[in-house]
Amino acid sequence: MEKILLPDIENLHLIDVYISNGGYEAAKKAFTQTSDDIIDQVKKSGLRGRGGAAFSAGLKWSFMPKTTDKPKYLCVNGDESEPGSFKDRQIFEINPHQMIEGTIITCYAIGAKTAYVYIRGEYHKWIRLLQKAIDDAYEKGFIGKKMKETFNTDFQCDIYIHKGAGAYICGEESSLMNSLEGKRGYPRVKPPFPAQNGLWGCPTTINNVETIANVPKIIEKGWEWFSKIGHPKHPGTLLFGVSGHVNKPGVYELPTGTLLTDIIYKYAGGVPNDKKILCVIPGGTSMPPLRGDKLEGVKMDAESLKEAESAIGTGGVIVMDEDTDLVKVLARIAHFYHHESCGQCTPCREGTGWLEKILKRILAGNGSTSDLELLITVANQIEGNTICALGEAAAWPVKYMVERFRYYFEARVNDEVSLPIANKVHSMRETSYPLADVKK
Amino acid sequence: MPNIIIDAKTLEFKKGQTIIEAAQDNGIEIPHFCWHPKLSVSGNCRICLVEVEQMPKLVIACSTIASEGMVVHTKSEKVIAAQNAVMEFLLINHPLDCPICDEAGECKLQDYAYKYSLGESRFVEEKVQKDKRIKLGPNVMFDGERCISCSRCIRFCDEIAKDPELTFVQRGDHVTIRTYPGQEMDNPYSMNTIDICPVGALTSTDFRFKARVWDMSSNKSVCVGCSRGCNTDIWVRNNEILRQTTRYNEKVNSFWMCDHGRLETFKHVNAESRVHYPQIRKDGELVEVGWDEAFSEAVSHLKTFPKDQIAVVGSPFATCEDNFITAKFAKSVLSTGNLDFIRHTNPEFADDILRNEDVTPNTKGAVLSGLVPSQAGLDINGIIKAIKDQKIKALYLIEDDLVQCFPELESSIAKLELLIVHTSNYNSSTNYADIVFPASTYAEKHGTFLNGFGVLQRIRPAVATAELDRALDGMNMSRLDKFGTKFDSWAAGKKNEARPTWKILVSISKALGYKMKYNMAEEVFSDMASSIIELKGIDYDEISESGVQLKVEDNKTVNAG
Ligand SMILES: Cc1cc2nc3c(=O)[nH]c(=O)nc-3n(C[C@H](O)[C@H](O)[C@H](O)COP(=O)(O)O)c2cc1C
Ligand code: SF4
Ligand code: SF4
Ligand code: SF4
Repeated sequence: MEKILLPDIENLHLIDVYISNGGYEAAKKAFTQTSDDIIDQVKKSGLRGRGGAAFSAGLKWSFMPKTTDKPKYLCVNGDESEPGSFKDRQIFEINPHQMIEGTIITCYAIGAKTAYVYIRGEYHKWIRLLQKAIDDAYEKGFIGKKMKETFNTDFQCDIYIHKGAGAYICGEESSLMNSLEGKRGYPRVKPPFPAQNGLWGCPTTINNVETIANVPKIIEKGWEWFSKIGHPKHPGTLLFGVSGHVNKPGVYELPTGTLLTDIIYKYAGGVPNDKKILCVIPGGTSMPPLRGDKLEGVKMDAESLKEAESAIGTGGVIVMDEDTDLVKVLARIAHFYHHESCGQCTPCREGTGWLEKILKRILAGNGSTSDLELLITVANQIEGNTICALGEAAAWPVKYMVERFRYYFEARVNDEVSLPIANKVHSMRETSYPLADVKK
Repeated sequence: MPNIIIDAKTLEFKKGQTIIEAAQDNGIEIPHFCWHPKLSVSGNCRICLVEVEQMPKLVIACSTIASEGMVVHTKSEKVIAAQNAVMEFLLINHPLDCPICDEAGECKLQDYAYKYSLGESRFVEEKVQKDKRIKLGPNVMFDGERCISCSRCIRFCDEIAKDPELTFVQRGDHVTIRTYPGQEMDNPYSMNTIDICPVGALTSTDFRFKARVWDMSSNKSVCVGCSRGCNTDIWVRNNEILRQTTRYNEKVNSFWMCDHGRLETFKHVNAESRVHYPQIRKDGELVEVGWDEAFSEAVSHLKTFPKDQIAVVGSPFATCEDNFITAKFAKSVLSTGNLDFIRHTNPEFADDILRNEDVTPNTKGAVLSGLVPSQAGLDINGIIKAIKDQKIKALYLIEDDLVQCFPELESSIAKLELLIVHTSNYNSSTNYADIVFPASTYAEKHGTFLNGFGVLQRIRPAVATAELDRALDGMNMSRLDKFGTKFDSWAAGKKNEARPTWKILVSISKALGYKMKYNMAEEVFSDMASSIIELKGIDYDEISESGVQLKVEDNKTVNAG
């Protein structure tokens, strides 16, 4: 299979290597066409966003107003903070110029003269790598003032990196824009959508790093070529970040529609010690988890995963074997969303903390079956009632994990408490009760 | 006008309005914490979630624009579930310290807990703990645990006070409010945040822990701090003013008032320095006498001066009614045209929000009421000069402090043969007064003020004096007052002997043989309305709670934020 994003070319991150492999030719080609043509090709290619929601990239670009007095902006989202996601950094490391080239073409398509690449601050190394690549591209005249000579075009754009300061929420597009503006990373109430009212109130498009990195190849090889790769309704390849209980964790570029079991067993080398799989989260921790006994035939693309009652998310596949403590996993996931809730809107601010507290209590052996109901209702009370999708991100794993592993959670809350746990709970109490009290 | 259908009722709305605004204009309340009609939309509390047909999820009524034919449900099962959810969430970490919270009784969270929640919590975990006593500025105290993070206070500082001082810090359920580093919330309007805070997270350092709201009565009044005349409520317990809060009036002050007006304009009502009874100077000392004795003393002295030796100084702090009678008293009773009043201005006080340079409530009204010299008479500068030249020998000074305003005049004032003063509190001028009449403050009488923009407004008594009748004078009662027992807080506290200036002057006129038939401020006003052209046709009742815009010279109508 041909790889679109991470081909096996040594030192591709060096600009000369990239150029000698046909790099920046797509941009040259793009400048011979109209911006509408580019949008049209990307639309027809079927390219869908790789940032989580799998929204049509071409359609999103077409929302940008054609006539406006205001400057337009492109934000390339490299915040990559969803647990289980580590694919964008591979692009920064291995093929940064393709993303830069994609950024140039996208800027041209939507009429943006400025692009910001928003990268999570923890990615020091990758920020340095990308900055080097951007500097080289400026030097060669692919970005900035020299574009006129290089591409024989009047169009000119600049690319800046903006470092995040360690908040998952800043990956949410409207929060990202607030953060860029120097404000608190609070998501904005939508509508208005970014295409009307984005960065500094100007028309803005936000796309994921991986989405943008696909663009040059679509222009170079044509939309038809791209639309035929993988699942027809969600074409192309995806960078699957596989982690957890697999022998060869890592990022695998595979066509959409690849079997989940193939990803785990064929590419990621199977489960250590040939243990059974208890649970797989297919697209980053915010996506509904799948039961180990329900993996057969599940394909990895947006449409197929919807049928399997989950979602593709960012393609971060987390595998958990039969010995995994799911309560601990869920408590840890709940801790993450509680910790990362920006605190702006009531249901998420209050509900995420509540979920974590209930789960911690269950984990400590102090849960009951009614707590399982409570977890699901609290999750339901968050879902759909919030400003941004972090609400769902926090609610889904809890709701679906408890629903789908009901037997597991029930056994846990009904279990005789194990002595070490009971002792711990006991020691946490302010007054001493006889140990038997802790048992049910 | 386009139509929207809310809960099966077809209602008109103005293009561009949000659902919550369209509902409100039609008298339908959609619950809200963070939304405020004068602040930007933040959409964070989520209690205003409503169901709109054709929309996949519930939407917030505060930010969703109404459109023609839109069908909205505010009481559907889904909506009620969302409201219950939001209320349950808001209360899980709330300290529920209502029994010691100043806001109790006027708290949105309390009210909504009855109206929009199940009244039960399933939360058994430990609550998040936050700082409970953070002084944000000189006048405002913050309790982090009570805060529901609605951001109203932040938006108020940014958008209305135009002084960004507050921000959220931390994340998730640890979010709390702080001032920016090195800053204090000391803008001149900071205390409005206390009013708009839906809970008891922001409290007044002045009023904190002084009273339960239901133990106080509140009466509608107007601030006397400057010529804006912000509308207020005066809150009284045991016949003592404990706080003033702002009252909505779009024509004048919108929802706001300044901290100076709120804090500094009522303290004299409760002060030690009040004049409690009429006083006459005997052997160099002021001594208490009865009203009748004071009246006859005044009459006997006033009679001895030829009219060109008498001057009358009225007051921009007094009502139109007081000044109308003052003018009549001067011109018709004393037959002097030496009549004017002192202007009080402070350019530093003024801003582009509410505060005006004229730091009195009724300068315009004083002029309109006839507080102007006759053609041959002396104006205030003339009067001052004549006092210095000892040409004026008798001065009738109403509700102002000539000595404090013109210290250089002190020795001349001391040489006056007669100084009669109406005042609520002892001041530098009463030191030289021969007769002092205790005048009711703005909080103890009926009457009207004309503000700097030509809006005529009513004040009402909030504090009882001996001459006021609680029922006849239409004074509101607190819950405690209604029992009529010995615990009745109305009966408690001191009642002053003060009377309104106009009433005192009517008595003196009568003693001088000039009959004026006024028993109520309203009657004085009716007389004014028939003789002053700008007031023609205005009925006292019609002024009601929000005032009447007069067509007076150079009145600019100013939008108050
Ligand atoms: C809480 C939250 C965090 C997000 N984090 C990221 C992120 O780290 N990277 C990303 O590309 N998209 C993230 N998204 C999705 C973005 O809001 C946005 O949909 C995406 O960047 C659009 O790009 P795409 O259309 O190319 O997928 C996040 C969304 C939410 C609600
Ligand atoms: S859903 Fe959570 S993260 Fe999103 S705005 Fe609300 S509080 Fe913030
Ligand atoms: S202090 Fe009051 S007004 Fe300010 S955010 Fe908290 S609840 Fe809202
Ligand atoms: S602006 Fe003037 S009238 Fe309004 S509260 Fe302040 S002092 Fe009183």
